[in-house]
Amino acid sequence: MGLLKGSASFVRFSVQGELPENPMDYIADRVVSFSYNDIDDTYDEYSIGWVSVLNMFDSQFKYASYVAGDYVTLTLRIDERKVSPAILKKMTQKEEERIRLEKELPKLSRSMKVEIKERVRVELMRKAIPVPSVFELCWSLSDSTLLFFTTNKKIHTVLEDFFKESFGILIRQQIPYTTAENLLKDDDLLTLDRLSPELFV
Amino acid sequence: MDLVDLIIEKRFLGQEFLTWLWWKSEERGGTVSLPEKGDVTVVFEKHMLLESGEGESAEKIVCTGLQTELQEARTGLQMGKKLEQARIVLGHNDYEYSFTLAAALMEYRNVRLPKTEATESDSNRNPEETEGMILERVYLFEELINMVNALFLLFLKKRVSSSWQEELEQIRNWVHKSPTSF
Repeated sequence: MGLLKGSASFVRFSVQGELPENPMDYIADRVVSFSYNDIDDTYDEYSIGWVSVLNMFDSQFKYASYVAGDYVTLTLRIDERKVSPAILKKMTQKEEERIRLEKELPKLSRSMKVEIKERVRVELMRKAIPVPSVFELCWSLSDSTLLFFTTNKKIHTVLEDFFKESFGILIRQQIPYTTAENLLKDDDLLTLDRLSPELFV
Repeated sequence: MDLVDLIIEKRFLGQEFLTWLWWKSEERGGTVSLPEKGDVTVVFEKHMLLESGEGESAEKIVCTGLQTELQEARTGLQMGKKLEQARIVLGHNDYEYSFTLAAALMEYRNVRLPKTEATESDSNRNPEETEGMILERVYLFEELINMVNALFLLFLKKRVSSSWQEELEQIRNWVHKSPTSF
């Protein structure tokens, strides 16, 4: 939601660094290499990758569907298997009690408890259905800027890392100061650097 | 400087801009003149968040209301707070945008784009129509960013110039006016 319809929340990044010659071929290759791999039928706990902005199940991008004019539009999809702490606690206690009775022990050792908790966690994780989250982005190749449609700071960091991994170039969030650095020139930049907060009363 | 340090150290810049923009929009009855773009209407409405101090000593107030004169927010300014978030309606030519600007990180939140034919029709589209719709929406997002950046540049040029003190005095006078006089 956001890029294609409805109200949108986003931040801006600048894309820093040069793309190789034939950028479209390079991007096509990298998008497919780092596209999303489904984990519904595996026991993997986490998967991240690019999918189409039109359909989160499309990670093949037939006919370069991520290109719109001079823009690359992609959705970052992250699926994660999660187990609620309350469920993990309940099931661990249940299993601890079962084993304690079975072995006729007055108390379980610390190492046994650790082993039980990990085993229960893995079992529950395997049963959990991966929870998907999707975040759209729009990359302007001519401006070397990128709009990312979420204000979740944790996901901003994930994007920075995954974008670098995918395309080999860095992105940097545009906060007021870095935006000002791009808007001002020469001496004004030196003055900007020396500014200190002003009282408006 | 590392981005994390910049966010902390230069947090004031975005908040000063937003506070300045509030003053600037009221100076000429909701209109700000932009070089090259002409007049844009800038109206602050409904929702404001003001902030003072940093870290553990930070204080925030939130003011909301449909038909409000934002008096609590104005009192907040008099207490030395600055605007951190505001709901703004921005108009230029026939386009009207409504959005919340979070100043410290320059986040655009709940942006409502002007309604156009290409962005509103929701029927099944062929690939060309879909691309056209995406391009139109991206164009509108960029227009909004260009306008906000043009307003930001107007502020920055003043802020780094020798005439800033003069402007600051005018802002202080505006802040000190009694809320009832607005």
